[in-house]
Amino acid sequence: MSALTIAESSAVVGELRRARRKRRVASIHWVDALYQVYLTGLVSVVLIVLLSGAIGDEKVSAAGIADVKEYGPAAAGVLVALAVFFGLRSGSRGGPLALERPDVRHVLLSPVDRGVALRGPAWRQLRFLVGVGAAVGAATGQLVVRRLPGNALEWIVFGALYGVTVVGLGYGCALLASGLKIKHGLASLVGGLLLLWSVGDLLGKAPLSPFTVVGHIAVWPLEPDWLALAGVVLAVVLVLAGMRWVSGISLEAAERRTALVGQMRFAVTLQDLRTVLVLRRQLSQEHPRSRPWIRAARRTPKFPVWHRGVRSVARWPLSRIVRGLLMAAVAGFSMRAVWNGTTPLIAVAGMALWIAALDAAEPLGQEVDHPGRTETFPFPRGQVFTLHLPILFVMSTVIGLLGAAVAAAPLGASVPVGPAVFTGVMAGILAASGAAISVVQGAPDPVDTLSMVTPEIAGTRTVIRTALPPAIAVLGITPLLAARASFLGKQDPPPLNAAMALALPLAIVVVLVAGYVRFRDEIRTFMAEASENMSPTKAVERQREERLAAEAREAEALAESKRRAREATSASQRAKAKQKPKSKPVSPPPEGVRGGTSAKPIGRKRDQK
Amino acid sequence: MSAAQPPALVAKDLTKTYDDLVALQTMSIEVPSGQSMALIGHNGSGKSTFLRMVAGLLDPTGGEIEIAGFDLTDVEARATTSFLPDDPVLYDDLSLREHAEYISKLHGGDGWDDYAESLCHRLGLEDRIDDLPSRFSRGLRQKTAIVLALVRPFSLLLVDEPFVGLDQPGKLVLLDLLAEVHAEGAATLVATHDPTYVERVDRSVALRDGEVIFDGQASVEEVLHLVGG
Repeated sequence: MSALTIAESSAVVGELRRARRKRRVASIHWVDALYQVYLTGLVSVVLIVLLSGAIGDEKVSAAGIADVKEYGPAAAGVLVALAVFFGLRSGSRGGPLALERPDVRHVLLSPVDRGVALRGPAWRQLRFLVGVGAAVGAATGQLVVRRLPGNALEWIVFGALYGVTVVGLGYGCALLASGLKIKHGLASLVGGLLLLWSVGDLLGKAPLSPFTVVGHIAVWPLEPDWLALAGVVLAVVLVLAGMRWVSGISLEAAERRTALVGQMRFAVTLQDLRTVLVLRRQLSQEHPRSRPWIRAARRTPKFPVWHRGVRSVARWPLSRIVRGLLMAAVAGFSMRAVWNGTTPLIAVAGMALWIAALDAAEPLGQEVDHPGRTETFPFPRGQVFTLHLPILFVMSTVIGLLGAAVAAAPLGASVPVGPAVFTGVMAGILAASGAAISVVQGAPDPVDTLSMVTPEIAGTRTVIRTALPPAIAVLGITPLLAARASFLGKQDPPPLNAAMALALPLAIVVVLVAGYVRFRDEIRTFMAEASENMSPTKAVERQREERLAAEAREAEALAESKRRAREATSASQRAKAKQKPKSKPVSPPPEGVRGGTSAKPIGRKRDQK
Repeated sequence: MSAAQPPALVAKDLTKTYDDLVALQTMSIEVPSGQSMALIGHNGSGKSTFLRMVAGLLDPTGGEIEIAGFDLTDVEARATTSFLPDDPVLYDDLSLREHAEYISKLHGGDGWDDYAESLCHRLGLEDRIDDLPSRFSRGLRQKTAIVLALVRPFSLLLVDEPFVGLDQPGKLVLLDLLAEVHAEGAATLVATHDPTYVERVDRSVALRDGEVIFDGQASVEEVLHLVGG
């Protein structure tokens, strides 16, 4: 019993992987492979066409170029900071590798060198990501050159280099966090602070961020900065350090990840947001508290559904509470920025509250997750779903009000209290409405009447399914825009009244959402029947079924009448048989007649005579 | 068993918590080399948590584990420890023979050999050697896991709920195999709900709610009393 040397480990693990890869490749049909290439190519072309259309061809003015030079590196730096943030978080949860479970059990528990076992998959994953980063960066560079001055080749090369650097920094951080077993909280804190620093730098509120320096690679053709290449070096160093310490991976985190990542990818492809949320919570070990923050009252609850919702909220883990507060803060700061003129940030405010509301919708989500139980209730399950809404609205409103408090905090250019509070309430309720739709709609049916329609219709439906819930949440911030318009105008009506003027249309949206939650099953049934009725094929099938049913009914009626006739006959015969002895005795057959009592003379003529 | 041999397992102040849930209270235990031990307790008592921490599959919240004198993170500790889980984890695309061959080689063995063949024969798998275990029934998968746990060298065998899903002949074969392994000098640590198993081992440790409530030789009656039958 001894450990294998690195060469032995490499030989054993390599041999198996080669054999398995060969088998896997052999099992892939060339048509499938070709179809995948075709799909990837098609999606890439569509994306590039859409992006090039959005970017346009007009050359940017001199002032615009000055803006790109001033803010471009910081904006590109924010992307780098995001990659580092997500890399650190992923690494602290056992990422970025997603190994096979048997590999964790058999290979990583054996005396082979874990570095040997893990570096192969890590290099392969990095190779793929670097390819994607370079391709996206180069494509972006090719698009940018149409509007900005400079050499096309330079834009493409530095675009690709920027993409590779972003991937390298993010991946290196992830490997290091995983290998050094950095705690999830610490990784989030460090990554979050770096991200905040970068955002602060972009907004001009913080000193120069190191990621802004790296971001200069993205605008190199406009303004070369040799210091930016330090980012490339740093990425290489981080990746190499990550590979060096990759063997320190936590098997507990790796095994948990193996089971969940595959499921999560599958849920994403199905656009099943609820499943993604549940799996993400499992991945981050975000479990409800076994001891609730507030003890339950002993008496029997008068409103069991509301009571169940309150008990669920009372068990929120600390991480969920922190996330709620963080989202409230993001929403609040975004509302301040909106009030001060940065209108697009209403999307950020709405999205933040929607994310928080998805957490608040957990009791409703639990009911949706267990259809086997809700279908046994002696009333439509939509009723139970609707009864869950008040708790969701209350919790989401509390988060919205916290956001409003941040927005109205008397520091700098704050939002007036009245419009802030009203917007907070409406934003909370609308975010809850969006979250309720997200949770209740679930994944699309694998086989429904729309599954065979044209890609245009199916695509539109997918976009609506995905975008509608957050869009409803963003609607909740619109009172702030109305108040701002009044504030900047004649103030007639005053800002608060202007905001409140939107209360009715927003309330109608909430009522419609509540109606959808209550009657979703009925609506789906109705829609399915209606679309079936519209289908010509279904109409022919239905006519055939109706004809067959009519024929079956006829045949049954005929059989029934015959049966009755037989019964009647036999009953009368029985009755006759019973009556016969009383009426008249059966006379013996005439001599010479054979064959029973038939009325028809039987036998030869001469015998009959 | 020479006195100079280090203990097969030493766990010092071992704890495991999940947020506010304590899965295993502070636990210290030493298993001498070659000892057979039963770990008993009701569901959720911490048996599997303890075994998985010793196997290296769970990170302890606190405490230290040494296996045959090596720290748990040392590669020598992995070379020494074999873990037979209650949930067989197998490759989808490898046959039973390929599994055994691969795992044997990972542990410095020669691959498929007579011992692997005999294990399959004893467990009634001789006709399934070239089949994919991923398509086996629960019991056959458990038998495959038994083969994989024993086909490699070890001096500490960790077994979690071994009889789950096994038919009666399979159970008897496993009991024989555990006795043989013990007779050859390996320490065995078996977590089980079967109270009769304690009569076959040198020592029994009973857990309740993540805490050791008994450590010594126990009779079946005592076990039933301790873990509530």
